[in-house]
Amino acid sequence: MTNEELMLFLKKNVISVSCVIASILIGVALYARSDQLPDAEKILADKAQQGELLAANIEDSAQLKEQHAALVSANSVIADRMIRVGQLAENLQYFYRLESETGTKLTDPRQNAWVPPAKNAAKTNFTLVNFNLGAQGDYTQVLDLLRKLEDGEHFCRVNTLTMKPVSVIRGGPVTISVTFDLLALE
Amino acid sequence: MALPLKKKSDAAAVMVPPWHPNLRIVETLPDTKVVRTAFFVNGAAMLLAFVLLLLLGVQEWKLHEVNKQIGDWQKQIDRDTKQSDEAKALYADFQSEEAKTTEVADFVASKPKLSSIVLRLGLITPKKIAFDNLDFRENGFNIRATIKGAPDPATTDASNYLKQLRTDKVLGPMFHEVDLLTLVKNQSSGRMVMEIFCMYKKGAKK
Repeated sequence: MTNEELMLFLKKNVISVSCVIASILIGVALYARSDQLPDAEKILADKAQQGELLAANIEDSAQLKEQHAALVSANSVIADRMIRVGQLAENLQYFYRLESETGTKLTDPRQNAWVPPAKNAAKTNFTLVNFNLGAQGDYTQVLDLLRKLEDGEHFCRVNTLTMKPVSVIRGGPVTISVTFDLLALE
Repeated sequence: MALPLKKKSDAAAVMVPPWHPNLRIVETLPDTKVVRTAFFVNGAAMLLAFVLLLLLGVQEWKLHEVNKQIGDWQKQIDRDTKQSDEAKALYADFQSEEAKTTEVADFVASKPKLSSIVLRLGLITPKKIAFDNLDFRENGFNIRATIKGAPDPATTDASNYLKQLRTDKVLGPMFHEVDLLTLVKNQSSGRMVMEIFCMYKKGAKK
């Protein structure tokens, strides 16, 4: 086909040729941009997830400030109830105060040597200090001492307890020997 | 062969196809098609172009909508990020504060209140049983007690006391086992002395 014939053909079929050329261009554009929609939908899904997460964070934190403040306040009270590991005199003073409050007679209240937690141990906020205590008094006094230890100013966990009457005569004084842990700050 | 007697009819004569020389010059003849082929070709080409254009339009419209939504989410993300980060930081602090209270609560709950057990024992123990020694250990406690009265009914008293400890509504649920370890006669007093071990349940609050 010569150029003249080609030109004649194009002139004669200008509409169909134009439509075919336009179809090819549109097809190329369709193909070229066909990846953009799935990519955009993926981005949209990620953004929506991120946005919903942020919105949920904000919604869930509606009362967080008040709860946090309440918790900090409670922990401040808890911290005030802790003994200090190194304050041996103050710690023993607590037991002598209990002695005078309950009317018992303490024998050998002793703070045992504190062992720092191992390096690979789980991190804790507080540490334990172990004590031994002996006391003598009537049953009510001794029980009062025990209750004040367990429910008193400091957080206490009694590990062992031996309770027995001083003599075979019933209703007389009893003795107790206690080992216990107090929760402490280092 | 005999000739037919009858004369051939006129109809037979009509059956002979007429002929004439084809003198038409095809190129010069007028086009008699009602709808030209070019119309269908053009129509098909236009339809194809239109359909493809429609598809492209739909695709672009969808892309525009998705991009618009991405923009909306991005605006919301930009707006919420700071507040969310603050909430996360506050929550992290909340968790560390919560760990402190949990640690204290776990510590307090890790062992039973022995004063309550002693008090309960004093409440439920019959008057004829007198404690000689209460020994609380990690896994349970040991009761050594003297049973007043003659040795014979004392064995029944000991047995009943064991049942009482096992079924007590406060102490019973704490125990895994309640065993009578010894029941012997004290030679000097003549009374029966029993030794009971109450073992705490494993895993339960002791």
